Formats: sequence, structure tokens, C-alpha cells
Amino acid sequence: MERRSFLKGFGTVTACAALIPTITHAADEAKKVTGPNEMSTESAIAAITGGKPVTASAKVSLSAPEIAENGAVVPVKVSVESPMSANDHVKAIHVLATKNNNTRCANVYLTPANGEASFGTRVKLGSTQDVLAIAEMSDGTFLSAKQNVKVTIGGCG
Amino acid sequence: MKTLIKIKPNSYKVGDIVKVDFMAMHPMESGMRKDKDTGKIVPAHYINEVNFLFNDKVLTKMVTWESLSVNPVLSISLKVSGAGTLKVLAKDNKGESVETSAAITPKG
Repeated sequence: MERRSFLKGFGTVTACAALIPTITHAADEAKKVTGPNEMSTESAIAAITGGKPVTASAKVSLSAPEIAENGAVVPVKVSVESPMSANDHVKAIHVLATKNNNTRCANVYLTPANGEASFGTRVKLGSTQDVLAIAEMSDGTFLSAKQNVKVTIGGCG
Repeated sequence: MKTLIKIKPNSYKVGDIVKVDFMAMHPMESGMRKDKDTGKIVPAHYINEVNFLFNDKVLTKMVTWESLSVNPVLSISLKVSGAGTLKVLAKDNKGESVETSAAITPKG
């Protein structure tokens, strides 16, 4: 009798042990945090360009540190070569952090009154990734520049 | 939301291009961070709209997201066309808005 009850108990325990990991795993999946504005790089670029091609250009200069010790504060500067006249100017500069949950950082809509197409800010980077700048020109073309930033401590803690 | 406008350099003439820095004291919560004490997710709270106006004419419009750093700094250029006021209107996703202005006084 003792042996039988022991086996019964052992059986239920192992069954429970087998079940537990799957349950907790499912719970973790359900708990996965999603940001309010989550957006991938592809869909963010498509939303900016409307399907038009983006060409990498030396006219766009993006300066960001190659190695960022603290991902919470990464200075990013974008400037675009342009006369900024009424006929030929930069309409907008878009800054994207390609691996953040929401890749969009800032969309900056410029006017000829700016005199110079430049924009600077500081962004949060969750991990090592490319920072991408897309410039929308007044003739409807899109130019881009990107730089890889190595992050040693993530900024989204 | 405390804000500040800085114009560099200090003295400039008509026709010069100056750098305008707009700074705001803002937590810029992404909505993904957990509070260490309560374990609850801190709701998203970030600046989502900044408009720069020079003499009430739109100079630069910005749409910003939570990927900007805490206490963000946004800098742009301005070609000084004459004396006037530079106004910056900033809004966050909770509806709080703030208006800051700075005088543009070219010398010579």
C-alpha cells in the first residue's frame, strides 16, 4: 500500500512539474510590455516616404558618437547641405533609432527661414544600433545617412 | 514643464545664422519602464509637439516621440531677418502645453 501511494504521489508531482514551466512561460509572454507607439523601422520609413526610394547621400551628415557609454543620453546632430531658398530647401529631417521599440525620434519640418538645414537633439538608445536620418527635399526626393552607435549601458531601463 | 530658450552666439547681425536651443524639463516616460518600488508600468508621458514661431510665422514644426532623452534639448538654426520675438509652443501627450518666448535683437 505504501509503495502504491508513493508512486501515485510521485506521478502527480512530476506531472505538475512538467506543467509549471509551460504555464509560467505563457504568463511571461502575456506580460511582455508593448509601448504605446511601437513601430518598426520599415513601417516608419514607409510612413515618411510614402513608398518612394531613399538614397544614401553625402549631402546629409549625421554626427553621433561611435561608442555611447550611456544609452539614455546620446547626442545626435544632423545637417543637410542646401541653399535653403524658396525653390530649393530641405522640407523635413526625420531621425530614427532603428532598434528602439518606437523607432521614430523626431520629425522636424523646416522652412527657408531657418537659413540652414540643421537639427540637434539627444536620444535614448535601448541597445547597439544604427541611427538613421532621412532628409525630405523640396523636389520630393529623400536622402539619408546612418551611423552605428555602440551602447554599453542601455537607455530604456 | 519648465522651458528655456538659448540663442548662440550672444551678439549677431541681420543676415547671420544663429543657433536656437530649446530646452524643456520633462520626464519623457516611454510607457515601458517599471516603477522599482511598486512594480507597475509607468504610463507614457512625453513631449509630442513643438512649434517654433518667429514673429508669429511658422519657423519649424516638430513631431517628437518618447525616444528623446529625459529633459530634451532641441536645436535648430534661424536666419536673422530682423528684430522680433521667437516663440516656442510645446505640448505633451497628457495635454499640458507651455509657451516660451525670447527676443531677437540684432546689433548693427
